[in-house]
Amino acid sequence: MSLLKVRNIETYYGPIMAIKGISFDVQEGAIVTILGANGAGKTTILKTISGVMDPEKGTIEFMDQRIEGMPPDRVVRMGISQVPEGREVFHDLTVKENLMMGAYVRKDRAGIQKDLQMVYDYFPILGERTAQYAGDMSGGEQQMIVIARALMARPKLMLLDEPSLGLSPRLVKEIYEIIVRINKEQKTTLLLVEQNAPMALSVASHGFVLELGRIVMDDTCEELLANEDVKEFYLGIKEESVRGSRRWKRKKKWR
Amino acid sequence: MEEEEKMEIAKGPQLQISLLESEANTVPRLFWRRVKEWRDQTAMRKKEYGLWKDISWRTYGEKAKYTGLGLIELGLEKGDRVAIISENNPEWLYSDMGILAVGGVSVGIYPTDSPNQVEYVVKHSGAKFYIAEDEEQLDKILEVRENLPNLKKIIIMDMEGLRHFSDPMCMSFDDLLALGIQLDERDPALFKKRLQEPQPDDLAILIYTSGTTGPPKGAMISHRNILSVMEMQNEVYQGYQTDEILSFLPLCHIAQRTVSTFNPLIAGYRVNFVEELDTIPENMREVSPTVFFAVPRIWEKFYSALVLTMIDSTRLEKLAYKWATGIGQKCSDYRLNGSEPPFHLRVLFKLADWIVLRNLKKVIGLDRARYCLSGAAPISPELLKFYHGLGVDIGEVYGQTENCGPTSIHYENDVKFGTVGTPLPAAQIRIAEDGEILLKGPHIFMGYFNDPEKTRETIVDGWLHTGDVGRIDEDGHLIVTDRKKDIIITAGGKNITPSEIENQLKFSPYINDAVVIGDGRKYLTALIMIDDENVMKHAQDNRIPFTTYASLTKAPEINKLIEKEVDKVNKKFARVETIKKFRLIDIQLTTDDDEITPTMKLKRKFVNEKFKEVIESMY
Repeated sequence: MSLLKVRNIETYYGPIMAIKGISFDVQEGAIVTILGANGAGKTTILKTISGVMDPEKGTIEFMDQRIEGMPPDRVVRMGISQVPEGREVFHDLTVKENLMMGAYVRKDRAGIQKDLQMVYDYFPILGERTAQYAGDMSGGEQQMIVIARALMARPKLMLLDEPSLGLSPRLVKEIYEIIVRINKEQKTTLLLVEQNAPMALSVASHGFVLELGRIVMDDTCEELLANEDVKEFYLGIKEESVRGSRRWKRKKKWR
Repeated sequence: MEEEEKMEIAKGPQLQISLLESEANTVPRLFWRRVKEWRDQTAMRKKEYGLWKDISWRTYGEKAKYTGLGLIELGLEKGDRVAIISENNPEWLYSDMGILAVGGVSVGIYPTDSPNQVEYVVKHSGAKFYIAEDEEQLDKILEVRENLPNLKKIIIMDMEGLRHFSDPMCMSFDDLLALGIQLDERDPALFKKRLQEPQPDDLAILIYTSGTTGPPKGAMISHRNILSVMEMQNEVYQGYQTDEILSFLPLCHIAQRTVSTFNPLIAGYRVNFVEELDTIPENMREVSPTVFFAVPRIWEKFYSALVLTMIDSTRLEKLAYKWATGIGQKCSDYRLNGSEPPFHLRVLFKLADWIVLRNLKKVIGLDRARYCLSGAAPISPELLKFYHGLGVDIGEVYGQTENCGPTSIHYENDVKFGTVGTPLPAAQIRIAEDGEILLKGPHIFMGYFNDPEKTRETIVDGWLHTGDVGRIDEDGHLIVTDRKKDIIITAGGKNITPSEIENQLKFSPYINDAVVIGDGRKYLTALIMIDDENVMKHAQDNRIPFTTYASLTKAPEINKLIEKEVDKVNKKFARVETIKKFRLIDIQLTTDDDEITPTMKLKRKFVNEKFKEVIESMY
């Protein structure tokens, strides 16, 4: 079943159309990824879904309800949490306070306590440092905080914006393992935006390639991994030329 | 049908090619005269770091000279072929003129060609040298050079990314120039001597025809051919040194070659190179060319751009547009009938131009254009009508590589839609018994390189057999109906000329190109390539969901949209000529694909092959 249905959305930054008409579905329980270069419009899509930005045109349906143009807090209440890019923690709040901010819209104290325990299980290091200021934590730990904070809203759909950004390969692996576990165990549907295409394609089941505000490919991750253009432009696998290294890029065809 | 015998021959006005009588009777000799005469004037312009930079005739001359001498130093002998593979840029012209000046023969290759296609042309022409634009074009030849025993040296214009690359067979364009300078210092008289060697009837260039059928053939063009065609054309539309042109169609194609390389030698106009193909619209606006030649596809693109601008405009703007183009249309109707529009209409047109039309023309960069031509493929009369209404009087030109570009043209004040004009001065057109168009004149080529058999088939008794069929109308205008071998004979025995139908389809802003199928079949069908930009916009405006190009072509609403367009076209044709079914091509074809020519025309043969199953599904 489609949990999220995006139809023909167009989003602008002033006069610039960043999203030039995009339609796609996210199935319930799936991990879906959006690949694309800098400026392709990946983050804009997430922001448009979460209500931080409003689309000029088009509709977004979440669990059969229209959500485009809704204020972000209502979107969160409906069950969509965004994990913003660049580890945006509240620096002057403690780890626990940060996590509680994620549950801001919830009223069920018992449930919140239970979920707090759950995120400490996923991220034991956060459980050990509940009283430490978030600003004093390492980059990897801050990334854990933002994911955990999003989980605290008990979302049905989590929008993850480049969780691997600026982290060591080992940490990236660790965080992704946890992301996959969350998807499996909590049945949270994930929409994942990534520059780290190999990682994203290895965990997701379905992917879209975004170029200049338009979707140019839409396929299973298996197919995407085998695609010549994805290989050359997103996985960095190039056939060598006769000379050895080849600097020029052939034309993208997206087929 | 009954009046078939009306006129079977049309002759252009008499013309003696004066250049051939002068001392500048070859391309390089004329070039060198211009370098001397026009020294400090601007020959071309190129955009560097956002600024248009002038290149004088003096620089053009020097670079060409040193290129030629450099090639001599590397062992070029008279008649040796040199391949050039590059997007349009000054180096292309330096190379071209340099090669010709020292008696070489230049061979252009499409920069979009694959390594195998490059191999074919280099091998077939037996080229000794290969001048490549950059790393990408270099890699193509490196991949296939083992199979090219004649190839001696590879010269690279742009060495970016190749600093650590060394290969005994390769050198940079700058090093080639340096070789030329050294040779000039050692033997200052050599260049002048070589310049005098080529004779008017010597082979000057080889043009490989992109060919919608079979492998490319190398058309041999002599100095006489080139000088003749320049003068013939300049008789009809005189060029001036104040004229500006924009160079963006491939230079290895005869049309752009005459426009960018040869015609400036007679008219002196300035050649402006586009930065890249994506910037054509911007560069058009910046340069605002006064003389503009384009293939129908470009005219279609501009038209679509204007239509889309209008769709997004306010109601007042729409009204103004309707009013202004209405007046333009009326004026052009008068002129097309050979009379001046009445005074009040001329005043109104001035007003309409001032308020509306001028701005529209500015959007596409044609506000200064005084002389516009369409050629290399048939254009729909409706499109021409649209431009004439704007006050952009496009004429059609007809010809082929084998006659060095143009043979017939719309003379000023003698534009007739649906025809391709009357013969150029010194040219003759005849219709053969079977309807084939035959051409004669000083511009008919020498034959196909290394293919005497094909040459004999093509030139019979001095008449070039074009492979096109057509007729000459009561006003002496030539009407081209189709390629002889493209004519469809349906199962019912009816002869159908697919290009007429295809051109009507292409006129739709939503259709980029189409191939009509039906040879030996019960009815006609079509494969249609949609215009992605416009169709995507339509999908957006009407909330038709799609993800990728393929899914767009499968959307039922889009198929309905195209169906409507097909129905519109069907109304214009007889029952047997209507399209009964169609399919949309669901992949985005690029010039790397065999199914499309470098000028983005669908190749019937390849399309029929590749989409065989799709075609069968319609029968």
